[in-house]
Amino acid sequence: MTEPHVVGAGMIDFGELYEQSFDDLLESAYLSLLENVDKGVDPSDIDAAWYGTIDIANEGSSGSAVAHATGLFETPITRVENACATGSDAFRNAAQAVKAGDAEVALVIGAEKMTDSTEGLIASAALERLWRGRGVTMPAYFGMRATRHLEEYETTREQIAEISVKNHENGTKYPHAHQQFECSVEDVKESPTVSYPLNLYDCCPVTDGACAVLVTSEDRAREFTDDPIRVAGYGLASDTFQRGAPEALTNFPATRQASSQAYERAGLGPEDVDVAEVHDCFSITELITYEDLGFCEEGKGGQFVDEGHPHLDGDKPVNPSGGLLSKGHPIGATGVAQIAEIFEQLRGEAGAVQVDAPEVGLQHNIGIGRNATGAVSCVNIMERP
Amino acid sequence: MSGPRYDRTKRQDQRLIGFECQACGWVSFPEEKRTCKRCGDAPAEMEEVQLQERGEIQTFVVQQYLPDDIETPQPVAIVDLPQEDGDGEPARAYGLLTETDLEEIDVGTEVVARFRELFSDGERPIDSFKFSVPREEKA
Ligand SMILES: [Zn+2]
Repeated sequence: MTEPHVVGAGMIDFGELYEQSFDDLLESAYLSLLENVDKGVDPSDIDAAWYGTIDIANEGSSGSAVAHATGLFETPITRVENACATGSDAFRNAAQAVKAGDAEVALVIGAEKMTDSTEGLIASAALERLWRGRGVTMPAYFGMRATRHLEEYETTREQIAEISVKNHENGTKYPHAHQQFECSVEDVKESPTVSYPLNLYDCCPVTDGACAVLVTSEDRAREFTDDPIRVAGYGLASDTFQRGAPEALTNFPATRQASSQAYERAGLGPEDVDVAEVHDCFSITELITYEDLGFCEEGKGGQFVDEGHPHLDGDKPVNPSGGLLSKGHPIGATGVAQIAEIFEQLRGEAGAVQVDAPEVGLQHNIGIGRNATGAVSCVNIMERP
Repeated sequence: MSGPRYDRTKRQDQRLIGFECQACGWVSFPEEKRTCKRCGDAPAEMEEVQLQERGEIQTFVVQQYLPDDIETPQPVAIVDLPQEDGDGEPARAYGLLTETDLEEIDVGTEVVARFRELFSDGERPIDSFKFSVPREEKA
């Protein structure tokens, strides 16, 4: 057993990349990674790859898409699909293989083309699954937590909107973000209703993107960089509100499970986290996640944002990159990009969104599956060695 | 969309029959399961329970953006349906709301199941329950 380390990251600008194919996106992320590894990496060093994608645009459903885009045909490539936690779970799987000593240098790459088939996606969520899901679309599923959170705690609509304001402000300073604009609490509240109580500016945009990171063993990490970042822990869990737990109406118990696993493996707690990239597909999701990750008490997410803790200059900066709300959420790429962002932060390379000398970073995705009634959550924790 | 997947739970669905785990009391609805989603008992001993038509909204949203053939605004709620004999745990289900003003809905609002065509599967109407605020209580 060895300690897995991240030694490089290759990010592309997220956006509406209509002209680019899946292969183009993968190729760009891969080339960007090769370019950005401090001491370089020879493709022949890569002995395994994990590919995160939901492949919404149906370009091909195996790991061979990565072989085509990179030329790594003789290398084992595994495709991972785990709802919106796809990218972070691909990373988790690579880290496990490196930890076990079975792969020494692993490529993690995630890609998604969301703009090719938005209509198909919405139609399939709402129609194909109407029976069991009863027409519950993504915004509805998260909006239900918002309604109940507003009712049960002292959470206000303004506190929820404030998260979107914060993330859009951060996004204007992050070069790869899809949407580069600032907005006010009033703008959020006055934007069109998508699914009461959520408005348009509470929702992440529809975005294409790709990202790649390189994971290797402790022994070999310094072949690639003098500044590797250790993977300290990871966790994964599922849940559904149908199990009847009252906290599932306001929160995501799967995140509590996944983060407990990750904290325990890392020997760290929420108080040790210096910077976090968390799932903010909707503004309310981030508010709930503060509570689920243990950054604050249950029901206090609104107060947590009010007090400025998750702001760029706060004591627990969350989503300095602008989060999914401004960066976009190309599903398979999302988690890998968050890993790349934490890697940058821990190395002090995050530019205008750099937080003050972080030692420990946390990455989190939550995904909806099973006709919108189930949730999968993945948490990875990284640390300066 | 194929027919069988809607037929599978037709009986439970149209007669509001749930299945109670004898190990932990969790109620599966509308599907009958042989494993318990809460306690993991497998195989679980599940006993048929009759649910009430009247339940309580736990939380809800009002959907605005849906495919063209679905009417908007479309309220949808999580509703707890108690067991007919008043004992044990309620079943927790998604429900579309119908014949209800948006102002009438809130967390804790009592609603009653009404059997309606949920949507049409090609030529075939798919019937199930929707919820509405009981008529006699409407202002
Ligand atoms: Zn049970």
